[in-house]
Amino acid sequence: MIILTRKGLDEIEEMIKGCGSLLVLGCETCSAMCFTGGQRQVEELASLIRMKKTMSGDEGEVVEDAIARQCEIEFIEPIADKIKGCNAVLSLACGAGVQTLAKVFPDTRIFPALNTKFIGRAVERGVWAEVCMACGDCILGRTAGICPVTRCAKGLLNGPCGGASGGKCEVSKDRPCAWQEIYHAMKRLNMLHYLKEKPQVKDWPIHPDKVVREDLMTVEST
Amino acid sequence: MDAGVSFQTGKAQKGEIRMDIRANREQEDYPPCKLACPIQTDVREYVQLIAERRFKEALISIRRQNPLPRTCGRICTHPCETVCKRGQIDNPIAIAALKRFAADSSWKDQYKEVVSVKPTGHKVAIIGSGPAGLSAAHDLALFGHHVTIFESLPALGGMLRVGVPEYRLPKAVLDEEIQTITDLGIETKPGIRIGEDVKISDLFEQGYEAVFVAVGAHEDRKLGIAGEEDLEGVVSAVALLRAVNQGQKPKVGKKVAVIGGGNTAIDSARSLVRMGAETVHVVYRRSMEEMPAAREEIEEAIREGVQMTYLTSPVEIRGENKKVSSLRCVKNELGEPDASGRRSPQPVPGSEFSLDVDMVVAAIGQVLDSSFPAHDLELAKKGKAIHIADPGTLSTSRSGVFAGGDAVTGPATAIKAIAAGKQAAVSINAYLKGESIPVVRSNESVPPEKLSSTVVEKTRKFPRCETISVPVADRVKSFDEVESVLSENLAIGEALRCLHCYLGATIDKEKCISCLNCVQTCPVGAPATTKMGEITIDRFTCQACGVCVLECPVQAIDIELQPRGYVMSQVREALSDSHNPMVIGFFDYYGNFGPGDIRNLKENYPSVAPVMVYGLRRIDTSDIFKSFELGADGVILAGCPVESDPFPDARQSVERRVENAKVMLDALGLDGRRLLFVEMPKQGLVDKQQVEELMEIVSDLGPNPMK
Ligand SMILES: Cc1cc2nc3c(=O)[nH]c(=O)nc-3n(C[C@H](O)[C@H](O)[C@H](O)COP(=O)(O)OP(=O)(O)OC[C@H]3O[C@@H](n4cnc5c(N)ncnc54)[C@H](O)[C@@H]3O)c2cc1C
Ligand code: SF4
Repeated sequence: MIILTRKGLDEIEEMIKGCGSLLVLGCETCSAMCFTGGQRQVEELASLIRMKKTMSGDEGEVVEDAIARQCEIEFIEPIADKIKGCNAVLSLACGAGVQTLAKVFPDTRIFPALNTKFIGRAVERGVWAEVCMACGDCILGRTAGICPVTRCAKGLLNGPCGGASGGKCEVSKDRPCAWQEIYHAMKRLNMLHYLKEKPQVKDWPIHPDKVVREDLMTVEST
Repeated sequence: MDAGVSFQTGKAQKGEIRMDIRANREQEDYPPCKLACPIQTDVREYVQLIAERRFKEALISIRRQNPLPRTCGRICTHPCETVCKRGQIDNPIAIAALKRFAADSSWKDQYKEVVSVKPTGHKVAIIGSGPAGLSAAHDLALFGHHVTIFESLPALGGMLRVGVPEYRLPKAVLDEEIQTITDLGIETKPGIRIGEDVKISDLFEQGYEAVFVAVGAHEDRKLGIAGEEDLEGVVSAVALLRAVNQGQKPKVGKKVAVIGGGNTAIDSARSLVRMGAETVHVVYRRSMEEMPAAREEIEEAIREGVQMTYLTSPVEIRGENKKVSSLRCVKNELGEPDASGRRSPQPVPGSEFSLDVDMVVAAIGQVLDSSFPAHDLELAKKGKAIHIADPGTLSTSRSGVFAGGDAVTGPATAIKAIAAGKQAAVSINAYLKGESIPVVRSNESVPPEKLSSTVVEKTRKFPRCETISVPVADRVKSFDEVESVLSENLAIGEALRCLHCYLGATIDKEKCISCLNCVQTCPVGAPATTKMGEITIDRFTCQACGVCVLECPVQAIDIELQPRGYVMSQVREALSDSHNPMVIGFFDYYGNFGPGDIRNLKENYPSVAPVMVYGLRRIDTSDIFKSFELGADGVILAGCPVESDPFPDARQSVERRVENAKVMLDALGLDGRRLLFVEMPKQGLVDKQQVEELMEIVSDLGPNPMK
């Protein structure tokens, strides 16, 4: 899922200063799972913002809501009037959510309360790790399920750099060498011969990318 | 039908008396204690009220179902305790002792005045003033009917007065309870034996429109062995106990054998010890396991020196000079289970022996008094208990005549008799109004759900309170009450052992995003997942700790014990009482403090407004922020000492939450020092020094700019 963190209070304050009435809007999928965008976090942040506004004399009401996903127009529509009734929205969603709102409500200022960090997973309670860079051309099948693009500091595709020591990356001692992990996993899985094949080249996508599935479309692609 | 009457207790508190004892399990999940109680006492509710130091309300809650709370607090066989969920963890909550605590401690303020009872003009006669008759009278009076109780003995109370000995139920207590019932305007006619002095048909002639027969079972069954009829020194237990209970001093042997294994046998034995018998044997035909008497009674009897002779049946009473000289017995072994499900005793050939005794007390069960004309009235077959045409309504074959209690069931328990009385009141009320009589199906005995071994393991154990009783050496000298009421501290501690069955978490499936936080954080493992990602929380396993409610990022989980929104509603109320400065104090009920400490807090620190919670786990960061937003100058979170915390593993996350909130308050410019997290002292609500430090900081920082 998409991993997010909340921006500092000062930065948020700076953004919303003088904006007038504000809707603090949660997004209850990835963002809720990261404890950044659920109803609970909406309540917390809204309370803090109200206090901040009182202290700085910044006017404008602060209202709260949360929807299932901000990147989906169907979920946004039921609260369209509420959004239009405010001068601005502080979105607790990822960049996709913020941009969807901005597109659907061209006359409302949409602010991000979060930083969209990466595609990752919770490795323990309160710890999330980046595991995929969305490179667009997955090679996990050749690397024993460990992504070197994301987890190798240098993003090497065809084996280690040689700088690792004691299983750790030369870039940082806290960082395991992804290629060493891949090697051990491939050995365990009898896959070492892959490493001897011709070097990998990657078909990097051009951004912004777009996926088109004719088979699913209802109107012809534009 | 909602059979309830409101009443007023003392000055201001309103309560409600409920007569209907039908379980309504479609509408609510009954905790096992409530389900097991024949009158469906809301045990969980009053236990919780005691835990919250709201003793008067606890008594009101008990009184809503039970007109004899002080009696039941002492002698009830407490089927509720048998099924208590805590019993699967360590030991059941001492429910009866808590009932006694609530009833004894708040008695004086209770139940002074009844309101909103309009007289109906109907007249009802009740025959017998045991718990069945008294309860029926109580509820019928509250329905507005004119009630007359006829009792053959000189004083009311039935077996509670003439069976149960003083050392377990003091007459003074019973008198007061009966007085509050008869104060409802009930007419009493002691010393009148219906059937002899007045016929039942006369009652109808005298204008009574309905009759409740609750004459109990007061005739001891015969042993049916040689020597029983003709020797001096053979007595019936009922006669013996009645004499003692009426203040007489019956002649007592030096060496006595009491035959039987029920409460009557044990009470006779313990009474005999007090009356000077040197040795008392209880002779019972099965083993201790099968003994119907309450376990604690058997243990107390043994402690008082009574000797238990199990697996033994009497075969003959032998005498010299027409007086008992010995009891011939035979040893038994247990064979196949009989109709009652208990293994039946089989005499072992050649195992006869003699007990050297000069008195034999027969206590092998009681039956309907043969002098009661049940047979003539066609209410019963000769020599049998009164027959009920429909056990669901307690009506007999004669229109307008209802019957219940021991007279119908044979010797049972006080609480069952109370249930019968309440049921009879509902039936008679409907009968008088010409309505159809509601049917009560007696509580199907559903075996309590079983907790998994993981839950048992993960639940923190807390020992059951020890009641204090008079030392044996002193108690055998008199009939003074043996057990004393729980102290306030013990009672509160005991009440806090409750595991809050069915007051726990429920998931709103619409909102749930299957994030698994509840599954990962629940201290007892109540939430479970399906393959398709649906999460359910087992309502019986859940202990309402509140952890998941705050862990759920989308607020899909709510809880019945102090639901979401409860904290803020309390905060709002607390803040409406304006003080300068104003500090919100969240205090954990699990701390070791008393009602006096709360009073002291209010006196010593009027600016600290207490908000009581079942664990600080329930305080969300947003509750803290909103308290400041609403103008609090400071917030104290006072957690209970770790020794008394039922969920010690959840403490860390509370501390982290507070730390995080402090950082945010600093970032806000409100100053995190306004927020104080402390552990409550071992005794009392707050540590003086800590509160004063916070007050100083708060006054240095000046008022909260939100105000
Ligand atoms: C020694 C002993 C100890 C017990 N201990 C316990 C205990 O610890 N816990 C517990 O729950 N239960 C206990 N019980 C059982 C409990 O007391 C009875 O189950 C309960 O009292 C039955 O209530 P009742 O109203 O049906 O009848 P009773 O209490 O027997 O009352 C019937 C009343 O009707 C009166 N009466 C009879 N015939 C007539 C008539 N013709 N006219 C007018 N009045 C009449 C009787 O005098 C009596 O007062 C004990 C019983 C005994 C005997
Ligand atoms: S309230 Fe506590 S015990 Fe119940 S499910 Fe939630 S975390 Fe588990």
